Amino acid sequence: MSANMADETQKTDSRDVEEDPLQNPLSSGTDDEEDIIAVIRAPAKVSSTEGRPSAIMGSMKLEEEPDVKDLFITVDDFQKHVFTIDTYITYRVFTRTTRSAFDEPEYSVRRRYQDFLWLRQKLLETEETHIIPPLPEKHSMRMDRLSKDFTITRQAALHKFMQRISEHPVVSFNEYLKVFLTAKAWELTSHRKASSGIVSRIGSTIKTTTSALMLKNRSPEFTMMTEYINTFAEKMSSVDRISQRILKEQMDLGAEYESYGPTYRLWGNSEVELADTLGSLGDCLDKCAKSVKDMTLSIETNFLPAAKEYMLYSDAVKGTLRKRDYIQMEYELACEELTRKKNEREQLQKQVDFLSDKSEVANADMKADMERWHRNKRKDVKEMFTGLAAGQVESYKQCLDAWEEVIEVLKSEKRHSDDVGNSLFQTSEPSVHAAGGGDSQLNGREEDEKE
Amino acid sequence: MADVTGDPSAPSYDSELLSDQQDTSGPTSIGDLARIAAKNRKPKLPHWTSLIDCQDGTLLEQVEICVTEQEKRTGAARTTSMGMKDVYTVYLVETRVKESGGQGLGEGHTSLWRRYSEFELLRNYLVVTYSYVIVPPLPEKRMTLMWQQMSTVDNFDADFIERRRVGLEGFLQRVGAHQTLCEDGIFHGFLQKEDSWKEAVHATGFQAKQDSRLKSLNASFRLKKPDRKFEDLKNYASELQGNITAVLKVRAKLVDRLYGIHKIHGNYGRVFSEWSGIEQEMGDGLQSAGHFMDAYKDYIDDYMNEEEQIADQLKEYIYFADALKSVCRKQEVLQYELEKAGDLLAAKTLQKEQVMGNAPSRSFSLRGMRSKIFGPESQESKDAQTKVLEEQIEECEQHLKQATQETEAFIESALVEVERFKKQRTTDLKEIFINYAILQIKISKRGIAVWTNMKDCFQKM
Repeated sequence: MSANMADETQKTDSRDVEEDPLQNPLSSGTDDEEDIIAVIRAPAKVSSTEGRPSAIMGSMKLEEEPDVKDLFITVDDFQKHVFTIDTYITYRVFTRTTRSAFDEPEYSVRRRYQDFLWLRQKLLETEETHIIPPLPEKHSMRMDRLSKDFTITRQAALHKFMQRISEHPVVSFNEYLKVFLTAKAWELTSHRKASSGIVSRIGSTIKTTTSALMLKNRSPEFTMMTEYINTFAEKMSSVDRISQRILKEQMDLGAEYESYGPTYRLWGNSEVELADTLGSLGDCLDKCAKSVKDMTLSIETNFLPAAKEYMLYSDAVKGTLRKRDYIQMEYELACEELTRKKNEREQLQKQVDFLSDKSEVANADMKADMERWHRNKRKDVKEMFTGLAAGQVESYKQCLDAWEEVIEVLKSEKRHSDDVGNSLFQTSEPSVHAAGGGDSQLNGREEDEKE
Repeated sequence: MADVTGDPSAPSYDSELLSDQQDTSGPTSIGDLARIAAKNRKPKLPHWTSLIDCQDGTLLEQVEICVTEQEKRTGAARTTSMGMKDVYTVYLVETRVKESGGQGLGEGHTSLWRRYSEFELLRNYLVVTYSYVIVPPLPEKRMTLMWQQMSTVDNFDADFIERRRVGLEGFLQRVGAHQTLCEDGIFHGFLQKEDSWKEAVHATGFQAKQDSRLKSLNASFRLKKPDRKFEDLKNYASELQGNITAVLKVRAKLVDRLYGIHKIHGNYGRVFSEWSGIEQEMGDGLQSAGHFMDAYKDYIDDYMNEEEQIADQLKEYIYFADALKSVCRKQEVLQYELEKAGDLLAAKTLQKEQVMGNAPSRSFSLRGMRSKIFGPESQESKDAQTKVLEEQIEECEQHLKQATQETEAFIESALVEVERFKKQRTTDLKEIFINYAILQIKISKRGIAVWTNMKDCFQKM
């Protein structure tokens, strides 16, 4: 295990342990972990992602973005496992790659939700300066956690998570990711036991909450980013809330439509001359019901999860911004130290240089990741809303077809019946009575809307 | 308030209206009437509905009837027991003669104010006087809370009054289009004679002819051989009411949801607007999409109103079914009377036979008792009784003959009326459904337009 890792060039948070006296030695962990970390750190000085030149390289990689994907990950085939003590669900994580870092071209492993949580935690720790995509939530307000629908939704979200990671030019090379994708079940368990768990998580929250208070000069760039992401998160949260309300009403609407058709058909049973008319109206309404239900399902399956994901993604971005702030703070504190303790200057100077590099890397990574995040967000938001609109249009078109079909039937039946007693109903509004008139009025309004 | 035509040579319509006969031999010739009508023709008011063909020879062919306005009135002299003024709504009934010879109606254009209770009075009169006719129904007196979520019932709510106005106009037009009803003098008086119309109605004494509720129920229970056809019609009427109620109930709930959905989408509009402020490339697209969301939120209001009108037209048939039921009830009363008359005749005949000694008395009878106590009856006594009975029997036979004729005539007219009603119902309902479909098509097209526009905006983001 350690041998494999030694081949990799990786950036880790292991700097905390030995070199940096300012840091709290919270991540002491076990001896095993220290070994692993030591091994990883050994080639650290020539790692591709540490130090200034590599930071620039990292961000340049992002800018070029030739989209030559050499790592493909899918999440599918969820299965329930029932044991006497426990019941849980595993997902198949399938990897295809041409990267030399991987021994095989394909890997297929089974992972639990817990394993994904572990992976993300590890990525957060080792890729501090990058935005790590969000995982689906542990619990859902709306859906029953034990239901199949919930699992399907979760699986889709996990798949999205892996996709995003595989597309990230830096994070996709993370060692823990490789472990996650390739290790056998028992290997992974021992890995998880080895790595520090709760302790470091607590430590990182303490770190990140204090940083915002202590920051002196944050560049306006990052202040803007923070303001943007705060507002964006608010808006996304509103969108999520609104769409959940709409979903509920849509479901009720579908149910009402379903019970509407039968009332006409039932009526048709006690009529003679009107039986066919009422029957075709009933059929038409059934078609409308189906159309509404399909659209509602589509919102539930596609739109809602996308909105939820971007809500969580905003939180992830916020977290990364806070970390960047913290790194800057560390650097600034060290600079202060430098000015105060002149006799320890040399050592502190090294520290300052080191932290200055780290800070620059953090800034560069943040900017680069934000840009790519914005690109993705634009694409995803566009897709999500376009899909919603397309679904609505399709639904309305289906209803329209059903009604146009039925009106031909109604009109032809009317022509056939001989009228001694003619109808007294002629609505006085031309817009309702003649479809042609309705169109022209509709067109008039359309022009108004187009401004 | 009736507008009398300016022409001094025109006959005052007072005298003509009270008579039921068509006064074609009036002082003015048909040609004169036409000329007068043409001269006095007012320009067409925008909201008068154009009239359709109706039964040949009905009033509606020649006359336009409209209920155009409403006003609130306060009862001047009369106050309620609590000392509050009686407030009510009046409706303006306008009549305009299109062609000449309007069956006893004056020429030109008349208008007067009527309140709801006067409409009710007219209808009650028609129901009693033409008991075989399925008299068109009036709109509701009060708003029903069957399926509408309203916290207060407000008979003065503008929408309710407007819908009532439409219903009242429909009522008058249907009466005018009915072959028999349109010729009625009281109806003409309602349209044109403001003064002492109520007295004229009461003077017909129709209230005395009305069958009490108890009488109807009694007949219904005690009928020995109910007429199959009318039983079926009663059942049909009930089923129709049940079916229409079910349809309207679901429709109301559905439209309620739809309304809510459109309004909630308005929230998207607000969020998009705020969101567009922080975005660079996506800003314009979001902003425009937000405007369309607002449009989506807003246009549902008109649709709701239009659909309510169609729902009212369906609801009218619930009340039409009541009118059908009441014709059936009249038939039951008549048939019951007929059966009673037959029974009475049979009883008297039996009595006569018993007196004459041809039919054996029952084992224990008053006659038998009397003869035991007082001795057998004398022949004179028997003859006297026989004579009385024979007179009574003849009366009964006359009565039976009359009742039979009355019942048969009623049934014949009623069945013709039912056929007319059925045709009318089929035509009306088809028309209603077509209008409903048109409205749905309109709303679907609107939805397609708005969401397609939104999709374009999203694609430009």
